[in-house]
Amino acid sequence: MNINISDIESALKDKISREISLKEEGVNRFRIFNPYEFDDGDHFSIFLKKENGHWKFTDEAHTIMHLSYDMDVSALKKEGTRQKILTNIISNFGLDEYDGSLSIRIESDDFGSAFYNYIHALIKVTDLSYLSKEIVRSTFYEDFRALIRETVPEERLTFDFTHPDYDKEGKYVVDCRINGMPKPIFLFAVPNDSKCKDAMITMYCFNNWGVKYHSVAIFEDQEQINRRVLAQFSDIGEKQFSTLLSNKERIKEYLSERIA
Amino acid sequence: MIYYFTDEEINRLIAENKNYDGPIEDFLRFKESEGHKKASLELPRYDGSMFIVKLRQNKNAVTDFSAILAYQEKGANQDFKLRRYNGKHEHTNKLEKQKFFDFHVHYATQRYQDAGRAEESYAVPSDRYSDIRGALACLIQDCNIRIEKDAQTSIFDNL
Repeated sequence: MNINISDIESALKDKISREISLKEEGVNRFRIFNPYEFDDGDHFSIFLKKENGHWKFTDEAHTIMHLSYDMDVSALKKEGTRQKILTNIISNFGLDEYDGSLSIRIESDDFGSAFYNYIHALIKVTDLSYLSKEIVRSTFYEDFRALIRETVPEERLTFDFTHPDYDKEGKYVVDCRINGMPKPIFLFAVPNDSKCKDAMITMYCFNNWGVKYHSVAIFEDQEQINRRVLAQFSDIGEKQFSTLLSNKERIKEYLSERIA
Repeated sequence: MIYYFTDEEINRLIAENKNYDGPIEDFLRFKESEGHKKASLELPRYDGSMFIVKLRQNKNAVTDFSAILAYQEKGANQDFKLRRYNGKHEHTNKLEKQKFFDFHVHYATQRYQDAGRAEESYAVPSDRYSDIRGALACLIQDCNIRIEKDAQTSIFDNL
């Protein structure tokens, strides 16, 4: 098969240039139709605007609003991973951010370079939503349950245990109760600060109700827990394992001894 | 993906009656956030899961908005978008190779989940609404959300 490189080049150029067009929407404001999309098929909203004598590309706050369908965008302004990533993108690609709008100023009438930079930056910003999805997709809870099932007979386990008398609404959840001994073991799987606080509240409630139990907390990664939260948790929690993956054998050994 | 629903399951969730009888002022309390206004309402289900209505209105463009109905399982921190009534912008249905620029409604579908794409990637242009009030009215009607009549009037007054 003969390949004519110049034909391919023309086809590529034609395809790419056909995907970009401008439509006037207001004074010195043009919508840019473009082929770049979010993962739901919506295209990026990009506008070319002239303000104070300068042209710029701006999304008029659309990108961050779109991210807000899936994540709490206030996290982009609070100290943390997402905020660091956004700050780096803004700095590395020379963007400006004001009240949710991401824009890039066009220098020396170089519209093409500014547009490429801008698109590249927006794609990276949209990746922030994958960050929250990846966290959700963590297999920690699945691994936790599998480990417990490997170690303790099923008939002694109650996952998502709530107290049938004191907590009829099921608000205070123990990830797993191991029964069949004078004091049951309450197991808590702790992947983050929020869950750490929830587990703490649950333990205080059971204490107030006069329920006797041994608590065991298994962290996904204890080093990621806020120091203050962890200190508070340690005041009430008994046995703790700092990570699940690197402590599997120790957790199995510990539980086997306790349930014997 | 933490959720996977067949078309039948999606239809069942949409068809389920969703009653709201709480205080009107709690229904959709708007907050300012990063260039847009946002509001959300949780409608709990019998098993601890819930439906969530989310509204987004861009402060820079009246035609840039979203009214969303999502479903969230108990204890999950990610939801499944059943419907999204969007403002006017460009959209492409990747599997059907259809592109349009219009107000449009996103539908959760099994085939887009099977293709590894966002569940609500399929969308259809709509001329039933042109602002967020109209979009919310369509969502309430299409997704079987029942609110007292007076309450609905007050909700729309707040938008």
